[in-house]
Amino acid sequence: MSKQIKLWQGNEACAEGAMYAGCDFFGGYPITPSTEVAEILASLLPKAGGKFIQMEDEIAGIGTILGAAAAGAKSMTSTSGPGFSLMMELLGYGCMAEIPCVIVNVQRAGPSTGLPTKGAQADVMQTRWGTHGDHPTIALCPSSIEESFKLTVKAFNLAEKFRMPVILLLDEFIGHMREKMEVPRPGELEIYNHPRPKVDPKEYQHYADGSSVGGPYAAMGSGYRFNITGLTHDKHGFPTARLDEIQWKMDRLRDKIDRHLAELTEVEEEFLDDAEIVIFSYGAAARSSQQAVRQSRAKGIKAGLLRPTTIWPFPDRIVTDVLKKCRTMLVAEISQGQLVYEVERCNKSSTPVVPVLRYDGEMITPAQILKAVEEAQK
Amino acid sequence: MHQGIRISGFGGQGVISAGILLAQAGLLEDKHVSWFPAYGAEMRGGTANCSVVISTDEVATPVVSRPETVIVMNEPSLAKFEPLVKPGGLMIINSSLVNSKTRRTDIKVVYVECNRIAEELGTTKIANMVALGAFSGATGAVSIEAISRALTKVFKRAKPEIIELNVKALKKGAEAAR
Repeated sequence: MSKQIKLWQGNEACAEGAMYAGCDFFGGYPITPSTEVAEILASLLPKAGGKFIQMEDEIAGIGTILGAAAAGAKSMTSTSGPGFSLMMELLGYGCMAEIPCVIVNVQRAGPSTGLPTKGAQADVMQTRWGTHGDHPTIALCPSSIEESFKLTVKAFNLAEKFRMPVILLLDEFIGHMREKMEVPRPGELEIYNHPRPKVDPKEYQHYADGSSVGGPYAAMGSGYRFNITGLTHDKHGFPTARLDEIQWKMDRLRDKIDRHLAELTEVEEEFLDDAEIVIFSYGAAARSSQQAVRQSRAKGIKAGLLRPTTIWPFPDRIVTDVLKKCRTMLVAEISQGQLVYEVERCNKSSTPVVPVLRYDGEMITPAQILKAVEEAQK
Repeated sequence: MHQGIRISGFGGQGVISAGILLAQAGLLEDKHVSWFPAYGAEMRGGTANCSVVISTDEVATPVVSRPETVIVMNEPSLAKFEPLVKPGGLMIINSSLVNSKTRRTDIKVVYVECNRIAEELGTTKIANMVALGAFSGATGAVSIEAISRALTKVFKRAKPEIIELNVKALKKGAEAAR
């Protein structure tokens, strides 16, 4: 059977990827430039036996997906900056209560209402630190339509496995652009569903040791008794003020990420082997960076691209290693510079780190990046 | 082969959908393609444009900063995109709505009365198809046949007579540009 070839938008590929992953609940509020995700799922979900609810705002949107997920659904919401800001409180609730779900943020230029139809990559630190308190974050960042599909599937898999909200950080540019997409056949991509408990309900602990990553957990209403709260809680989910239990819970949340860095870290590399000038770039900016690398190589400049598809956790070790080997690292972002500080944090070799930024709502161009490469080459 | 195209006009003139058709047509001819829109918050009346890349190589950036071809559907688009066309490139100008002439002497320019031709076929709504036809006729980058097939893929629910009318507009545009 020949593959289905589509001319999809990033948002469309994201919605289709959600269906492929087995998403059966969407709650949210449409907002440019993410609207197509909701629009398409409003049409697809009911046909597949799933549920779509348009809520009164984004706070209610994330509330419904947490509730649906706690009851065993695979759930998702999508939004953009203003809505993502509204979701911050319940994002933390999802981390604390360890509820798997996928939140799609198709970034537009901010702050506040900003430029609804223009793109940016300036929510990347909000994605990490927008909700208060120490908390784990997993965020994936696609650079193409095919990646929008595959990383949406991966976001669901990671949410199920790590029992937490996973953020798909799209941007207006990738969300709205169209390009060729070969649709994966059913069964071609791995789908991970978390195991359900098999123990006697009397013995069940919702937050048992060993259940935080890849372990079993029950759906509400499935015969197992537990509590869900945003308060710091014990293994049954009931609020606690015991210091040992608080320490246990906080370590548990941190260790989800810290003990699985190798599994979570994912980067793409182009021409890195002999690269003297490395461009660190992700999402839409990486498309222009890719072109700038090709143009540099054509001019005999040894340039390379380091492109994380997992933004959080940040690929510390890889960035540190690449910085040791290269002469200069350029950080190309569509913002006033955010991940450049993460790159600098990883710099153990005093390699010059140069930001290449654009933040007027337009996509950063290969010409701008190429110019920065040529400056660095001098 | 590499064609970077900008199509620009008022919101409502169909420049966004013309771009999707062009990309879909390129895909049907096994090319690498990308399409990227740019528009304001308004549904109609604002300015809208899109970038399309049709190439035998993989497309890196979807935004076409220095186009090989610009399709100008209204007066403000001429001023905006005229300076960006690559030397030796092409500009297709909808002379029904654009009164100015280009000052560029290093590019090929084709003036097509898109609105008038569309009106003669029955509706100015298909002026965008006349322009696409002109692009096909002038460059051969995609065939009229491929754009016609793209119509049925992009507008799945369109009635056959509407598709037929659009195909007529494509052919008229191609004739006008040859």
